[in-house]
Amino acid sequence: MNFRMFLVLFVILGFRFYFFYSNQPNFASGQEISFETTILSQPQIIGSQQSFTANYEARKIKIITSRFLEINYGSYLRISGKISNQSDRVLMYFPKVESINGSLNFFQLGLQKMVKFAQKLTSLFSETLPSPSSSLLLGIIFGIKEQMPKDFSDNLKASGVFHVIAASGMNVALVGGFISTFFTFFFKRQIAIFFSILGIIFYAILAGLEPSIIRASIMGVLVFSAQILGRQTLAVNCLFLAGFGMLLADPSLISDIGFQLSFLSTLGILYVKPILEKKPIISSEILTTIAAQIATLPVLLVNFGTYSLFSILVNGLVLWTVPILMMFGGAGAILGLIFMPLGQLLVYLCYPLLLYFEAVVNFFGKIGGIISIKTFPWQFAAGYYCLLVCVLLIFKKEK
Amino acid sequence: MKKFFLTATVLLFLLGCILVYQNIAYNDKKLHIIICDVGQGDAILIRTPQGSDILIDGGPDDSVLNCLGKHLPFWDKDLELVMLSHPHADHFTGLFSVLRNYEIRSFVSEDLINKTAGFNALIDRIKTQKIPIRFVFAEDRFILKGNIVLKIVGPTQEFVHQTSPGGAIGESNELGSLESFLVYENFSMLFTGDSQVLELQEALEFIDANISVFQVPHHGSKFGLTSEILDILNPKMAVISVGKNNKYGHPTTFILDLLKSKNIKIFRTDEVGDIEIVSDGKSFFVRN
Repeated sequence: MNFRMFLVLFVILGFRFYFFYSNQPNFASGQEISFETTILSQPQIIGSQQSFTANYEARKIKIITSRFLEINYGSYLRISGKISNQSDRVLMYFPKVESINGSLNFFQLGLQKMVKFAQKLTSLFSETLPSPSSSLLLGIIFGIKEQMPKDFSDNLKASGVFHVIAASGMNVALVGGFISTFFTFFFKRQIAIFFSILGIIFYAILAGLEPSIIRASIMGVLVFSAQILGRQTLAVNCLFLAGFGMLLADPSLISDIGFQLSFLSTLGILYVKPILEKKPIISSEILTTIAAQIATLPVLLVNFGTYSLFSILVNGLVLWTVPILMMFGGAGAILGLIFMPLGQLLVYLCYPLLLYFEAVVNFFGKIGGIISIKTFPWQFAAGYYCLLVCVLLIFKKEK
Repeated sequence: MKKFFLTATVLLFLLGCILVYQNIAYNDKKLHIIICDVGQGDAILIRTPQGSDILIDGGPDDSVLNCLGKHLPFWDKDLELVMLSHPHADHFTGLFSVLRNYEIRSFVSEDLINKTAGFNALIDRIKTQKIPIRFVFAEDRFILKGNIVLKIVGPTQEFVHQTSPGGAIGESNELGSLESFLVYENFSMLFTGDSQVLELQEALEFIDANISVFQVPHHGSKFGLTSEILDILNPKMAVISVGKNNKYGHPTTFILDLLKSKNIKIFRTDEVGDIEIVSDGKSFFVRN
């Protein structure tokens, strides 16, 4: 990217940050507030409680309430209650939550329609397959984690493949790829690419508007648009443009771990992977994992304090199933809307692979092999990235 | 396209293998009773030799789904009968997930309500899914294919009216909980939910003595059982559905000592996980 252009964007972003943080409201513990908001992700259910994030005047508030209230991604709610501050997070415990059904604007109505459609699409999995296979497939295709049994998601974390059930760049690339391959059979390339872009946007809304999915979708759309315009794709530019756009819209994302990980792992895949590929002894999927890990390790350690020793091995063992599962599961979900038994058959075809996936994850999850570091100083992280950049520059010169 | 069909063929072959294997493993013409490890709560799956599935209670969270997934063949996604022993959250919360994942043919409970938002939400969900609801009392019975009878042995209508005059359940002495008794030729098992001594005493008249397996009432609470009742039942084995380090101190040492003093073998879900009891109608064994 042009250096001057980069500088202009950077300055714009700086102003945005300055105004965002100087105008941010501060809450006192015990302060009563009441506001209306649209829920932009599926609430997380734990035991008898559910929690979700609500936006209030450019602040994110974590709401904890009873699991029996019917709250969905897309619900438009009025929330009133007391604020309680905890360290640097703003929480509300069991506020009054009412759902507002009338007077919705076009965007809200559209979102609710989409969520209804997504529920119809995904209900095929839970009605067809037993647990935890059904929730694993839901996680792999749509990044839906809410129905995952706790012991299985613990095993996913312990074996280092939890990222598989978070919808991310891999999913978006696969969705775009499938659609464009499919439509090139029938139409001109430009039209196929146009459908891919539509498909990616549609998928992003279905999967829930989380930072990783938004980042990947913006990139995906940019890459495919560049193909229509006949320009050479410059993934790095797209990545920075996506990051720029997202931060401009919501500066608080800079402290969102999902955003950081998504951004850094993509950078890793773009810059570190080509170096690893110079001596190709292992498959490309494993190299992707390693590259992403190299780029994100300090962020993971600072935020979670754990690293799974077997994660590279486990990733190598299971990642090859993801495109197959996405293809058969995704096709099953869509065909199931038209003719359910055919959809079910395709979902059943996923079952052997899902059993294999579960067996690997449970085996390594039980072994453990987690290194945990209580406190990881940020200075180490900073030093690590300086070294990483040096190594990358050296390799660039050699070339 | 060629690759797609090749992959599909391989997967179809593997699916066929799993189908054959699971059909042999799960349809073995024996009665299977699984006390699911759902932590502090109850969830019990009964699979008859003919392949009918009955679920008694759903436990406090989604973990019941794992138990169902593990103990039913993968294509079996319907439950012929779901029975709720009483409307407390540690027995019904998991039913929300069951309702979403399984087709339930009929729902049975005692004629008591609980005014909590959770229970109301559950009944709403059951009604929207158009699942028939029936209330049962002592002496009602379900006669199943293959010579299996599931008898309701408590509470009686009078007991419910006396202990809960308002028709709503409380948290302590007004507690009534469905008790049921399963008989399969020489094998029998008593399911007790969270019932207490008074109710169990009344139920004894509907139960044949010398039962095979006894579910210790109320996760091993000391108000669930007396030495006299245990003498009459005279079970060969006892099971306790209880969570690790629960805040109630269940199972109580009183109950454990009582069972030990009569040399009754105890299986606890907090120690062994799911407890699977398999019977051919003559004898039975436990598989972990």
